[in-house]
Amino acid sequence: MIIPTWCIGCNNFQVLTALKMVVDRKNSAMVAGIGCHARIFDYIDLPGIHTLHGRVLPTCLGIKIGNPNLNVFGFSGDGDAYSEGMEHLIHAARYNSDINYIVHNNQVFALTVGQSTPTSEIGFKSKSTPLGNKLQPLNPIKIMLASGASFVARVSSDIKQIEYVLKEAMKHKGFSFIEVLMPCITFHNSNYKDKVYSLEETGHDKTNFYEAIKKADEFDYNDSTPLGVPQNTEYRGKIPMGIFYQKEKPVFEDQFEQLKKLKEKGISWKDITN
Amino acid sequence: MRINVLFGGEAGQGSNILSHILGKTLIENGYFVFYSRDYQSIIRGGHNFNVLTFSNESVNSNDSKIDILVCLDKKTEEIHKKDLNENGIVLNETKPNMYFAGSIFKILNLDFQILEKQLKKLNKFEENLEEAKKGYEQEKRKLDILKVDKNDFYFMDGNQGISQGAIKSGLDIYYSYPITPATFISNELVKDENVLVLELESELAVINAVVGSSITGAKAMTGTSAGGFDLMTETLSLAGIAEIPLVVYFGQRPGPGTGTPTYTAQGDLNCAIYSGHGEFPKLVIAPGDPIEAQELTSHAFYFSQKYKIPSIILGDKHLGESFYTLSSEPNITSSEKTTSLKKYSGNEITEKGETTSNAEIVKSNFERRLKTIDSIKTDAENFEMFKVYGNKNSKNIIVGWGSTKGAILDSIKNLDVKFIQILYLEPFPEKIKQELEKVEKIILIENNSTGQLGELIAKKTGIFIEDKILRYDGRSFFADELEIEIRRKLK
Repeated sequence: MIIPTWCIGCNNFQVLTALKMVVDRKNSAMVAGIGCHARIFDYIDLPGIHTLHGRVLPTCLGIKIGNPNLNVFGFSGDGDAYSEGMEHLIHAARYNSDINYIVHNNQVFALTVGQSTPTSEIGFKSKSTPLGNKLQPLNPIKIMLASGASFVARVSSDIKQIEYVLKEAMKHKGFSFIEVLMPCITFHNSNYKDKVYSLEETGHDKTNFYEAIKKADEFDYNDSTPLGVPQNTEYRGKIPMGIFYQKEKPVFEDQFEQLKKLKEKGISWKDITN
Repeated sequence: MRINVLFGGEAGQGSNILSHILGKTLIENGYFVFYSRDYQSIIRGGHNFNVLTFSNESVNSNDSKIDILVCLDKKTEEIHKKDLNENGIVLNETKPNMYFAGSIFKILNLDFQILEKQLKKLNKFEENLEEAKKGYEQEKRKLDILKVDKNDFYFMDGNQGISQGAIKSGLDIYYSYPITPATFISNELVKDENVLVLELESELAVINAVVGSSITGAKAMTGTSAGGFDLMTETLSLAGIAEIPLVVYFGQRPGPGTGTPTYTAQGDLNCAIYSGHGEFPKLVIAPGDPIEAQELTSHAFYFSQKYKIPSIILGDKHLGESFYTLSSEPNITSSEKTTSLKKYSGNEITEKGETTSNAEIVKSNFERRLKTIDSIKTDAENFEMFKVYGNKNSKNIIVGWGSTKGAILDSIKNLDVKFIQILYLEPFPEKIKQELEKVEKIILIENNSTGQLGELIAKKTGIFIEDKILRYDGRSFFADELEIEIRRKLK
């Protein structure tokens, strides 16, 4: 048994615990990128690959195409997903292959001991931004919605929430995007506890795309509430968590006769001798 | 007898279809045919041309001089008239392209019914037939050509060779991103319903999807060129450490940068053999014609599956897009699907698959990879790593690789030389040292500006080749010019 090298109290443990609770060990594969998140690959007995920085999603797609009967899980950090791998993220949403993608977003490059990422807030002082980050962070939820993702969720690093959303994502046919917004207790110790609220508990209609966009706009990944959110909203300064959007869309694997056949027969290419 | 026919015109005017019709007809009649394509990176306009060379003897290249000049536009005559042979024929009427097909059939005394049969396979049959008839009837000139017996020859270009080789090797999935001159591979593979051909968002996506599919046990491959290959190299390194089989077809074109993207070169030998950071086993092999393209593609699958390594097939635009006359079937090496889903990693790992930086384990992992390099080297000796042609007792040696094979073979027919074609670049056939010792002359022929094979030979054998014939203007060698150059070096 390998001893985890995450910091004591690291929020990546919550993702690992939730994953262990829901995953079907016999019929799943996983891919992890580069960064603190990727150590998850060592801490659970699932086949797959600990791959290059930024290339988690095309590798997941390759696995799903190689054997469409597998449950495929991809894990990235915010650097992996939103810096090095952004090109793939947008296209993964467009392809809608039945992959579950979990982004451990701690708003910092942690394994390289603390630099700004594309979701670091304005003003964040890091080794790469000693005078404070000057650049507007990306809003990955809006990017995913705009790219046509069929399942878009964000959760806190809370085991129960992650478990719930993972289960929903696994039931969903198509690309599921799950961002776990977490502090890095060593390099970006953000505290969102008092700011978050549940979309599920506040009656959000996850089938409504425009409502989803509105909800995504409530938090722009800066600590402060973004401009443009009406002053009188009861959610001002709050961060919505849960499933923003979910819609059935044509799934990648169902578009190709060869893959449909593999699914019907419950086999992979390896089982075919040419 | 070698007859050269040049079809020139703007992009889209019909040089390709005319050369293909004539080529197929000549092959059906028992002639050897070779044609190459010279085109610019444009869709309409500009100046494109094909040169078709045919003979009663084996032909694998073009000559610089033209016997029949078919001008589909005015520019063609202006540009190519200087290359016309003394008794050369010019077809320069302002007519639709199939008029010229008729004219050429008349000039070469070919059966009009064969032309009619070929036109039936195209659109606008009636219209084309009428024009072809006019051309045939109105043409009065004649070129006497040697009669030959019918043969079972067939026509294939290098890209079809790579594709057929992959299919015969049991390819499951081909991922691609469009780039000249590798795009045609997917166009060919998509015709086979057992192969899944997918275009993804970039070369980065493509090569990593190959990795993903490969670890599930599928036989996966991609093809690319130039900067597309550069983008893939990080993943070749990943495959090297994680021990994942994959096959890449690398179709060279002139760099650096975008260079002249629709022309040909052999400038990426170093790029292929030194691709990827770190030290890891890989295979780099270079076919010189469509038969070798099929055979070496099967070698690429064999080595990648058996040793779980990346295999690179190094071709180029000239090989890929030129049509060759083939008279035999390839000898395909079969390969198993050796990989199954388990824990793979780009990190150094323990036997259990856990990430490690333990010095002893790191060292032993390196030693395992070195052992794989040795095993591949030993196994490769079971294959023809180089071939010898010409006068096998000659003291004059020509060394080359890849697509220059055609022009070299055609240029040495009347010379006292031995031609060594190197097919395996990594691992390298160090035995060629014996072939290069105690000789009078060694001439290196390459389609690049620095003589990269020469450098590799020097590194592997300690033999430095002083005499070089290098062409680096994006064009392939012409057999007649090359013969003159070789004669000059032999003096």
